[in-house]
Amino acid sequence: MAANTNIFSKALAMASALFLTVGPLAAQTAYDSLKISLPKHYFQTVIIADFFAKPAKKLPDTIDPVGRHLKNYAFRQMNLSFYTPLLTQNSYGADSTIIRNSHLLLTGNYTVLKPVFRGLPEQHTLTKIGIGLRYIYNTGKKGVWFADVAPFITRDITFESKGYLRLSSTLVYSHNVSDRFNWRLGITKSFYWGNRYYLPFIGIRIGRLDKVNLSIQIPRSITLNIPVSSKCIISAYTCPQGGLYSFSNKDSLYYNKNDKVFHFTQYQVNTGLRVDVRTGWFNFYIATGISTRNNITFYSEAANNRLRAHLPYNKYFFSENSPASLFLNFGLVLKFGKARAFYNNKNMYDVMDLNNTIGDNSGNTQIPLIKKQRKEDQNLRSIQDLVDYNDF
Amino acid sequence: MTICRMVYNLFMRRWRYILVFCSCLFIFAGAFAQRDRDRVEQLRVSFISKRLDLTNAEYEKFWPVYNEYNDKVKAVRRNLRQSYRKKAENMTDADAEELYQLDMQSKQAELDLHKQYSQRIKEIIGTKKLVRLRLAEEQFKREMINSIQQDKGD
Repeated sequence: MAANTNIFSKALAMASALFLTVGPLAAQTAYDSLKISLPKHYFQTVIIADFFAKPAKKLPDTIDPVGRHLKNYAFRQMNLSFYTPLLTQNSYGADSTIIRNSHLLLTGNYTVLKPVFRGLPEQHTLTKIGIGLRYIYNTGKKGVWFADVAPFITRDITFESKGYLRLSSTLVYSHNVSDRFNWRLGITKSFYWGNRYYLPFIGIRIGRLDKVNLSIQIPRSITLNIPVSSKCIISAYTCPQGGLYSFSNKDSLYYNKNDKVFHFTQYQVNTGLRVDVRTGWFNFYIATGISTRNNITFYSEAANNRLRAHLPYNKYFFSENSPASLFLNFGLVLKFGKARAFYNNKNMYDVMDLNNTIGDNSGNTQIPLIKKQRKEDQNLRSIQDLVDYNDF
Repeated sequence: MTICRMVYNLFMRRWRYILVFCSCLFIFAGAFAQRDRDRVEQLRVSFISKRLDLTNAEYEKFWPVYNEYNDKVKAVRRNLRQSYRKKAENMTDADAEELYQLDMQSKQAELDLHKQYSQRIKEIIGTKKLVRLRLAEEQFKREMINSIQQDKGD
């Protein structure tokens, strides 16, 4: 009797195992036979065109001959950047209820910067061009890893200076305690504060990414985001903006004329309001506010110790803060291609937000905002994926 | 006062460009408004979220799986619809047979996906909430259809 029970239970176990294995396989066969290609990536290809300007301000009275020579300082910048997904891999946890994924993105940017000094006979146009890789790993549980490497070349194109290769990089771990609270920790080598700094990255966010949230991401930004509709977000923010560029010594600003090029750093802290408008693939934003701590500094390459090749420059021949001024910033964000859905997936929202916070601030256009029902959304065409003729 | 004057000067010097730029933005914004289907999808997700009442742990696991399921089902339906549309005019007997086979395969694939993902979702949220999910999906569909029918009646 006992032996019979044993055989019966073994047979039952085998049948269950067979059922569990064959079930999903059958599903795979029916679906796979249709050879339908789903979008591979969660990220869309995004192109961002950003324009920034602030009016001329007189440099403070100084006995410094360089400052007297420059007279005043205005600033205009145009930045074209993009990111595009190269590789996306999904994998499942042991019980197939956890979806992990990793994303490899190609990034690029081209910046044209025009620091306008009234005292110079010819204005300098400085450029920065770079291409980089970004890797984001979503563990499927609480954490998301982010790594970014972005080499770039700076040049003074007005005087055709030689290119100078630099590298910025970031490594961050982001932990989603819940969809309403997140913390981040990492390290970044950044030029946002002008000079070459290695800084810790510390961030917290309170509030859901698709609702009102306060995001403090040191050293990048402090932002209060308020979605006013599913198409519009108003943000109050403060963030540094800066860079390190090559500046030709054609005007002999540096006394040692053997130095053909020196390093020009500029940074400012922008505090203001930004309005992001989302319309689908075409999005734009306009921001304005006050720009404070407007610092410009000139460093000679030769004067800075070459042994400190990876540390910030510490010897400068001119450094000045110009008075606070208003700034105007606007940009276009164009999204291309189809992407996989990730509604209410808090880790994927965080993946998008990391890419947005640490990359170019394109306004998190891929995170869908909570939407209220409106008449204009309802038509038969819009629900044809959901209904069958039997439903009517 | 100085700041105001500076802004005024900046805008006065560049007002033509700013006007043209803003006009272009709003024209583009209107022309390329978000697609209806995406908007309905957002509505549906928000409708289901409210009805399900998931715990944090369930929420984290449920949405990635449910999104994947929806992506696949929608792709199957779209594929069938597009095939019908392509071959609707000047349909030969071979085309008709092909469409018939595709229709059968699509229905089978939908059913299989439904079974496969229901099992996975059941492991995450339990049977009771799975049933509540199906009810919420139906309810949303019903509300949308009623609303459209009322609209047409008006």
